[in-house]
Amino acid sequence: MAITGLGPHGERASAPERVLLLPEDMERARASGFRVAIVLHTLESDWAKQQLSGIVGTLGNCGVAVIDVVDCAFNPELQIEALERLTLEAPDAIISLPVANSKVAAPHTRVSAAGIKLVLLDNVPTGLLPGKDYISLVSADNFGLGKIAAEGLSPHLREGAEVGVLGYDADFFATNEREIAFVKWMQVNRPDVSLRVQRFPALSAVAATTRTLAEAHPELAGLFVVWDTPAMTAARVLETMGRKIPMTTVDLGQEAAIGLAANEPLMAIAAQQPFRQGETAASITVTALLGRLAPAWVALPGLAVTARNVVECFQTVWRMPAPHEVLRKLSLVGLKRSDRHLP
Amino acid sequence: MPTTASVQTDGHPRRKGRPRVSETAAPSLVDILNLVRTEQATTRQEIERYSELGRAVVADRLGTLCELGLVDESELGTATGGRAPRLVRFSADRGRILVATLDQTALGVGIADLAGSLLMEHHEATELTQPVSALAERLVTLFRWILERQSNPQLYGISISVPGAVSDGGEALFQRATPGVLPGWESFPLVETLVAAFNAPVWLRSSVETMTMGELHAGAGRNQRTMLLVKVGKRIGAGLASDGTLFRGAQGTVGLIGSVPVTMGDRTGTLEAMAGSDHIAQDGRHAAENGASPVLAELVRRGGDITALEVAQAAQMGDAASIEILSQSGRLIGQVVATLANMLNPALIVLCGSIAQTNDILLASAREAIYGACHPLVSRDLQIIRSQMGSSSGLVGAAIVATEGLFAAPMLRDWVMSGQPQAHPLFQQMKNEIAQRKVIEGDIVRPPDM
Repeated sequence: MAITGLGPHGERASAPERVLLLPEDMERARASGFRVAIVLHTLESDWAKQQLSGIVGTLGNCGVAVIDVVDCAFNPELQIEALERLTLEAPDAIISLPVANSKVAAPHTRVSAAGIKLVLLDNVPTGLLPGKDYISLVSADNFGLGKIAAEGLSPHLREGAEVGVLGYDADFFATNEREIAFVKWMQVNRPDVSLRVQRFPALSAVAATTRTLAEAHPELAGLFVVWDTPAMTAARVLETMGRKIPMTTVDLGQEAAIGLAANEPLMAIAAQQPFRQGETAASITVTALLGRLAPAWVALPGLAVTARNVVECFQTVWRMPAPHEVLRKLSLVGLKRSDRHLP
Repeated sequence: MPTTASVQTDGHPRRKGRPRVSETAAPSLVDILNLVRTEQATTRQEIERYSELGRAVVADRLGTLCELGLVDESELGTATGGRAPRLVRFSADRGRILVATLDQTALGVGIADLAGSLLMEHHEATELTQPVSALAERLVTLFRWILERQSNPQLYGISISVPGAVSDGGEALFQRATPGVLPGWESFPLVETLVAAFNAPVWLRSSVETMTMGELHAGAGRNQRTMLLVKVGKRIGAGLASDGTLFRGAQGTVGLIGSVPVTMGDRTGTLEAMAGSDHIAQDGRHAAENGASPVLAELVRRGGDITALEVAQAAQMGDAASIEILSQSGRLIGQVVATLANMLNPALIVLCGSIAQTNDILLASAREAIYGACHPLVSRDLQIIRSQMGSSSGLVGAAIVATEGLFAAPMLRDWVMSGQPQAHPLFQQMKNEIAQRKVIEGDIVRPPDM
């Protein structure tokens, strides 16, 4: 699938193949004994675990030692502290997911000013420039993810429907792109639809924001939420309000996959590929450490997931079998051989 | 709140007799605000010294500026023996500037503070060939989105980088009508639409000019006085910063070097046609067809399209034919730029545009041509680098264009007393004209479409 978005500074996307490591690259990296630290927004989510596993595995293949993995718990202060501590330890590179914008810009700039190669995941604090303040950004094609979610919701919307958009009230590249793309797709392809946008400032405020949106618009007939964790909270709130609204979101989390398999309330999901994103981030890091030119933005396409392909997409994304509940809802388990209808 | 200044410009004669307080205050307010804004003066003592105004006048004017929210005196500086001096700071957060870059294939929008620092940006693919009305509609939608995300701050100006020279005589305070930058633009009132939608003055500059400003203030050109920027894309243009400011020329159309004729072998054409991205893509397609480039041929075989970026990527991967195509472009560009360098003696030459920024080969061959053709005195300390700001340089530069426009003495003195540029009499006049035109257009009974 083609990349439809542009990078944080208007860069055209480069494909992950641009930083493919050849056996001789790996050999050179192994001989150099590089040290790399990783600073993530959280280590709790499946997405973060998969991304980390992609990074660590690929670095391991190249003989690069991961000297620290920091969980910032979405807290800018913790991230600033971690970056300052790690800068003193002087690893060859730091792979970081900036949890905020201007708040964490200065400590990230100090990392590269100290001669440490900085590779960013998913977000770039405003003012930081590729080539100068960081090597590369690795992210999903978030603009494309927003479009996939809009395309997935559209067939479930009647003519003239009101559609809610639950955005994230923080200046975060990934969620901004998804929201803009969803709204743009609807305005271009479904001009009959009225969009009602509300944004939540934190995960703890999702329930209240959903309630406000649903109460203000009793005719709401569709909902897009910018990622799966708040989407599932919103789904629960709507259920308690007795509202059945078709939804789409981004990221194929376990709970979201179950909702999608049941075709209720999730109709489609635009899935990122965190493991591949992790592998790519590690490849870029090694490419930069070997002194080769790295592209400013490497983007990975999203997957359009519906109940029909949720099982294989779950396996592709998470590198593990789909949850039993998903398989059961799709009648792939718990049936006698004679009951199965083969296509 | 002080009343609007009644200083008249544009040929209106001053009244006879003793000037009103607002008239005498405006020039000193302009001087003081600009001393503080440019950080030339950071304490009252420094303001008195640089402005040569008395203590009482400075205190009075600072009081006014603080009241208007343009200056802040709440911070204390470092004591050098006695009491710590109160720091006088420009309140860059008093207002915001909307910025945008329009180029052949992308639209970028952003928002900046009054110091020109970019706070938020977004870029998306677009086609410049679509009607201006559709482009304007998208621009307005994205501007509204970004203002909403910033809790609808007070807007001081809008500045847009456009893909063509903005010919305005170089002396307009701000844009008072939509210039015909591109074919079709003269028939759509882009500037008037933005003024009507956002109630703020608009500035338009060519993309090369805004990129030059961006590079000079926030990129590689920081701390440089003389810089030449060369943008390589479908069009090739140059921007010149001289003595720390943008040089716009007599008509505001400096740097149209793409139309310089060049010769390569038996072929002669303009620099744009012989070295621009269209030419690179075309040569790439030839190389794929005649088998000279196995990498590009493979791309075509798999259904891929060849643009200049594919040729640049193939060159980066070591494809000999692609390397030659880019080297040739770099050499031609270098030859023309060398002539400019010999004439202007810049300290720094920055190459920008997606091809120049992602490709070492074009940069290397341009460098070779420039150093080879420059006078030794010109090339001795000359630095030639690629831009590291990407499309952000256009947004940052657009913000600087607006801040310089807003706070230029001839503009500022007519709005400073009210604290808002919307109070400028020429802006008020423009708004009235737009409103009147709407009324007249509403009255006209159009014949039915046939």
